[in-house]
Amino acid sequence: MAWSRISSRTSLLNRLKNPEVLLRESRFLPDSLYPSYKFFKASSGCGSNNLMPRCEFTTRPLTKSYDFCSYGSRRLPRIPAFSSQRHYASHASVASTEKKSKKTLLYLTALVFAMVGSSYAAVPLYRRFCQATGYGGTVQRRESVEEKIARHEKDGTMATREIVVQFNADVADGMPWKFVPTQREVRVKPGESALAFYTAENRSLKPITGVSTYNVTPMKAAVYFNKIQCFCFEEQRLLPGEQIDMPVFFYLDPEFETDARMDGINNIILSYTFFKVSEE
Amino acid sequence: MSAGGAFGGNRGLRPVPPEKGIFPLDHLHECDSEKKEYLSCLKTSGHKSEKCRHLSKKYLQCRMEKNLMAKQDLSELGFGKPSGMEASLGD
Repeated sequence: MAWSRISSRTSLLNRLKNPEVLLRESRFLPDSLYPSYKFFKASSGCGSNNLMPRCEFTTRPLTKSYDFCSYGSRRLPRIPAFSSQRHYASHASVASTEKKSKKTLLYLTALVFAMVGSSYAAVPLYRRFCQATGYGGTVQRRESVEEKIARHEKDGTMATREIVVQFNADVADGMPWKFVPTQREVRVKPGESALAFYTAENRSLKPITGVSTYNVTPMKAAVYFNKIQCFCFEEQRLLPGEQIDMPVFFYLDPEFETDARMDGINNIILSYTFFKVSEE
Repeated sequence: MSAGGAFGGNRGLRPVPPEKGIFPLDHLHECDSEKKEYLSCLKTSGHKSEKCRHLSKKYLQCRMEKNLMAKQDLSELGFGKPSGMEASLGD
């Protein structure tokens, strides 16, 4: 806080003086030009933190400013010395500031490259992170479904909680298909494979090829949702007016029951969206 | 499509394909009757998958026969030894 006082005083000084005065190297400035700082005492007195310096610029001579508190008067003689010292050291400081600025430039360039590099590296890193943690609804795969089923059958784990799997179907804009789930929901216990259907109908007059993708909500339950077989990620071609049933065969991992994070989850929504690939 | 997901969600990720691949589409509606049976069973049983498992097994078998699904032992897919019922009948 003391430093700020000195620096504010010097900046004010510099604004008031003309350049010739600075070069003069004299310790004492003409009284007429020197502004006097009057310190108004706050309730707790001089030198405390809640002292508010209020600057009053008068042309009173320095010697006559009696109402300075001792703390303030100690500061005053230092100011002219500070300003003269500044241009004594100018030569050496210029060289050092040049060195410093070169260092800063190097540092900043390195920072720019580091940022650009990390933004490129973020893509595979993020993918790996999501695969490992299943964050954001990524469906993980570590062992195949048959292995899981075999393992759970051997263990004889019987699931008790019934989970309602609801189905949702969406079509992208500009896609003249009617795409709905054939059943609204299926009640399944973890560890049981279940079958569900979606119906798609091409309402246009041209054969249209579409591709679908899916998502499971809530996101954290996606880890336990295994799709054994479905109709997604492959182009499906429907002739005009054709209606077709698309099955989904899925399996909910029994480990779903033992996970504490899944305690409140009794509903899972499987959502499919169809996108248009081409139309002839 | 994917609503939410605080951390960017599934935006930059390739979704995981299904384990056994894609069901070829049943353009000729060969297994339609089995499908209808299964769906009506679901409706009557309050959408409980357990009660209609035998029908879904039938549907998958139909698919395998008509070459719409890779042939595989259904017990591997979770349609293994049925619960106590059939075993007691066999006595």
